[in-house]
Amino acid sequence: MEPITPIIGIETLPAWLCWLFPLVGALFSPILAKIHPKVRDYGAVFFSFLSFLMAAMLIPLLFNIELLPKWEILPWIDLEGLPVLSKIEMGVLIDPLSIIMANVIAFISLLIMIYSLGYMKGDPSLTRYWFFMNFFIGSMILLVMSENLILTLFGWEGVGLCSYALIGFWYKDSKKDYIERWVGEPPEAYPPSHCGMKAFITTRIGDLSLLLGALIIVAFTGTLSYIGLLEEVQHLPHESMWILVPAAIFFFGGPIGKSAQLPLMEWLPDAMSGPTTVSALIHAATMVNAGVYLVGRIFPIIYVGSTVYPEMISFFYVIAWIGVLTAFVAGTQAMASNEIKKVLAYSTVSQLGYMMLALGVAGTTLEFALGYTAGVFHLMSHAVFKAALFLTAGAVIHAVESRFLHHMGGIRKEMPITFWCMSLTAFSLMGVPILFSGFWSKDMILESTLLAGQPLIFILAAVTVAITCFYSVRMIALTFLGKKSDRIHEMEDGGHHVHEAPKVMWIPYAILAAVTLAFGIGSIFPYNGIGIWLEHTFEGYLSKFIEIEHHLSPVSISATEAALPQELAVLMTIVSSLTMLLVGTWIAYRLYVKRTVDPEKLVGSRSALKSMWTFLFRRWYINAFFYKVFIYPTISISRWALKHIEESGIDKFNYVVADAVKSFCSRFRRTHTGVLNYNVIGMILGFILLIILMFVALVW
Amino acid sequence: MILEDNSFILLQTILIPAAFSVVALVAGKRLKEKTGWVSFIVLLYSSILLGYVQLKLFLEPSFEALEASYTWLPDIGAFSLGNFTLRADGLSTPVALIITILCTVISIYSIKYMEHEHSLERYFALYLIYAAGMIGTVLVTNLAAFFVFFELMLIPSWALIGVWGTGLKERVAFKYFMFTEAGALSLLAGIVATGFIANTFNIFEISQGMEGIALGTQLAIVVAILLGLFVKMAIFPLHTWLPDAHAEAPTPISALLSPAMIGIGGYALIRIVYTGFPAVITAQTPQFMLILSFLALITMVYGGYMALAQDDIKRLLAYSSISQMGYMLFGIASVSTIGVLGAVLLYVSHGLAKAVLFMVSGVLIHEFKTRSIKELGGLGPKMPYTAVATLMGFLGLMGFPFIIGFWAELYIFTGSMYTALQGFSYLIEPNTIRILITSLAIIGSILTAGYGLWTVRRVFYGQPTEKTMYAKEGSAIMLAPIIVLAALALILGIYPGLVATGASKYISELLSSLIPIL
Repeated sequence: MEPITPIIGIETLPAWLCWLFPLVGALFSPILAKIHPKVRDYGAVFFSFLSFLMAAMLIPLLFNIELLPKWEILPWIDLEGLPVLSKIEMGVLIDPLSIIMANVIAFISLLIMIYSLGYMKGDPSLTRYWFFMNFFIGSMILLVMSENLILTLFGWEGVGLCSYALIGFWYKDSKKDYIERWVGEPPEAYPPSHCGMKAFITTRIGDLSLLLGALIIVAFTGTLSYIGLLEEVQHLPHESMWILVPAAIFFFGGPIGKSAQLPLMEWLPDAMSGPTTVSALIHAATMVNAGVYLVGRIFPIIYVGSTVYPEMISFFYVIAWIGVLTAFVAGTQAMASNEIKKVLAYSTVSQLGYMMLALGVAGTTLEFALGYTAGVFHLMSHAVFKAALFLTAGAVIHAVESRFLHHMGGIRKEMPITFWCMSLTAFSLMGVPILFSGFWSKDMILESTLLAGQPLIFILAAVTVAITCFYSVRMIALTFLGKKSDRIHEMEDGGHHVHEAPKVMWIPYAILAAVTLAFGIGSIFPYNGIGIWLEHTFEGYLSKFIEIEHHLSPVSISATEAALPQELAVLMTIVSSLTMLLVGTWIAYRLYVKRTVDPEKLVGSRSALKSMWTFLFRRWYINAFFYKVFIYPTISISRWALKHIEESGIDKFNYVVADAVKSFCSRFRRTHTGVLNYNVIGMILGFILLIILMFVALVW
Repeated sequence: MILEDNSFILLQTILIPAAFSVVALVAGKRLKEKTGWVSFIVLLYSSILLGYVQLKLFLEPSFEALEASYTWLPDIGAFSLGNFTLRADGLSTPVALIITILCTVISIYSIKYMEHEHSLERYFALYLIYAAGMIGTVLVTNLAAFFVFFELMLIPSWALIGVWGTGLKERVAFKYFMFTEAGALSLLAGIVATGFIANTFNIFEISQGMEGIALGTQLAIVVAILLGLFVKMAIFPLHTWLPDAHAEAPTPISALLSPAMIGIGGYALIRIVYTGFPAVITAQTPQFMLILSFLALITMVYGGYMALAQDDIKRLLAYSSISQMGYMLFGIASVSTIGVLGAVLLYVSHGLAKAVLFMVSGVLIHEFKTRSIKELGGLGPKMPYTAVATLMGFLGLMGFPFIIGFWAELYIFTGSMYTALQGFSYLIEPNTIRILITSLAIIGSILTAGYGLWTVRRVFYGQPTEKTMYAKEGSAIMLAPIIVLAALALILGIYPGLVATGASKYISELLSSLIPIL
């Protein structure tokens, strides 16, 4: 490895400012609100624009990867005499991953902030809204820019707090708002404040697991700096490395929680009770990617570790399998959901599963660059198209004032721009060939599973493509096509007409739709398309740290032997993904666009279909399981323990002792009668006792 | 470098509040609740003095401690109680400083909260003595004097609960007194035994005096001392006095009892047992500190569970304090510099966060005359400052970054994990059971997030209830102390070095003194 020296200079300044500006902007919101609400609104957008500018200034570095990584550290905590964690620095790390992440975040945030100007217009608590939005953007960019895990945790928990506060933004939980602002249907209908808490606590469980893993790592290596860990992991004593395997897997708990993977996935669909802008920014495009980012961040560390200690590779298998199972399970859940945002939320979970699985399989093979790039590329393209999908969904919800799909329908004519933007971005989600970014990134993922010799994962991932197409087409058909719903008719009778979203709303998602097309078209060129270029960038950059020829991991070599030759893999990927695309689309087209069979009657007619539908609608009973097994028992155990252990156990014991002393005293008191005769008898008895005692003592 | 306290800084921080309690008693008859300002100024003076010492510790790397020694009681034959010694070092200064800061801001809070109460001159007189007792307990390094101050913080607080409390206040105050007194007697037994066996009452000379004494004897003494301290800290199962006392005490006193006073038990554990009984700390058979870790784990989980089941907001906070003391003990029992440093940081973070939360509960009680969470709701938009402060308080308890609680819990758990995996010097081997206990403790801390956020949701989210329909923000004089403490927690969270620099230096020396020189 080349010696790397910290560079301090003006060129790293944007890396600091791109997260400092929004954080400062958050503090300005309450101040600017005192001047005028308009100043506050535009001020908030301005700060996110500054952050966007700063992030964009880092892009040129992507073309000079020989200069990377650059990092700059400032002293933060410097304590004497601690064996570990005695020095913690505040630092930024500039490398391809952080530059790409920061730009994705800053760009999409800016568009969503602009969209918010229209979407949130007239809300009474906008100061709070802007505060948390800007605080979120700052924390999120801090998370990706920071150079060590401690600073990452600041961003990590910061975005968690914003997510909590913004999901529960409409704090009133009023029954009146059920149609628009709750999430789910009975028996799983939740008000916003419940969902916010659920999100925070679920991700917190993951975070504690992450903390546990990180503490084991720090106790061994003495550092939590990513660059430091990369060096350290190669020089660890071999006999103690076994503990790093569970440590890494515990560490993965954090990404599982944040990126809503199995088994901690159920908070994300319920997070949809927040404003749609929040769903788009936090729960689709940025925060939920933090888990994928963190895995990508520690990927080289674990990968290098597995060259020294082959068992480390099980970490990657865990990731790959959790990813693919999540992709499949969440995809099927999306097929049965009746809410437009919830369909998109399940879809987000499913797509995050794809990214995880790409990073997972990448670690099991020598050709790590393909899977790694596929994960990051899919993250980029998903962030763009899913943000657009949410924003269009928000426009529709705004128009029909309901979150339910069966309250929509037949509004294609009224909202043509929204319809086209949603369709184009949904094509990207489905992976429609050539023109759309989703096609390229998803195929790259499928290809990497084959090249890593994981046929089972490949099959599950390919089936999920069909599922994705099914729910995407279903969603568009139910939203825009077919007949107008009764609710829309009612609205029209009442004089309300569904109309296109205002410019400030549709321009942002039109831009996003254009970007997803641009990514797609930009990837067509066989030798210098975006995907290929990314792969070269990451390969060039990561190979600074990972020396392939020293990679002696037997597991990965055997996996590579099982892999297909590349040409065959590419061919199989294209054929199977196209087949799956056609199958899923065709079924959904027949059911929901052509309506040759009425889907509701179809489900009602067969009991097997009916119970399957219920199973999917009840989210595989995963959500119910967590409530039944963890939440309710915890509360009832605590109440039981309060009553039986605390009150009638420990505390009762105190009173029993006190009462015993009291009753002994009151009985003993009776002997103190003051009657002379008794006293004399007592005296005589006492003397006798004394004499006996003295006697015993003398003899003994 | 240890400096002599030539300008009586340490003596002043204790004696001036104590002396002014007489002034408060006399002048308070006319000043009524305005006596609070007298108490504020007096305690502010103490805070400034200690703040100066803390700043010096932070800025001057060579400065170690400020020490003072005075002769107090004459020797009786060969028996000597030793000098009355005070010491402000990296360990005691932050603890004492937090106590004085809390006492300072809470005296302002008392002005409003207690305005309609009777005989406020006595309230503030007792308040000042109570403050002096707590500061003295922390600064003093003579065991006999330590006991005197230990009792001095008990008696005024007993009276404060018994006279100005709510509900069954006399009964609760009596329970509090009996529990703590029973513990104090055990502590006294330990102190006397130490005095006779080691032939000294000076904490820093005990370890020399204990050389060559059998481990069993030392263990017995430590157990006696710990019984006293554990009652004060409310470690399971000696905790039952605490929910009663904290719930029924007048809220400003709850906001001192819980954050400032009970943690002194943990502080004393470091000060007395770590300094005086190194053999016990590093004992291998039995692994005494591992047992304490286990006890700490039970306390933190049990306290969390109990907090989850509460409807009375002050009882909820009280059980949360029990849980937090479990964290503190967990850090102390880790036998590592990192963990003990974490315990000191936890004292600071719990002090700030819990004082904020108790004061918030006081605002709610003051506005709505109820402690039941069921009767509250939908307060967020009506009381935004209170809502933000509450959220910050609970985030501090659950170890959220940006707030000092994060560093406390990070260091506590890292310390315990470090000892579990790497051991401590050659004295303590890596231990699988400790890995398990630490893992459980980390996972168990989800309970803190659970009861915290649930409380925030029940009080501040949702629809307003009958009582809260016409709610408005609490008065500025009650909010100001809350905001000051919350801001302090935030500042220390972003830059913990202000507290940790001096503490880590002292603690690392303390821990290396545990290793016998061969």
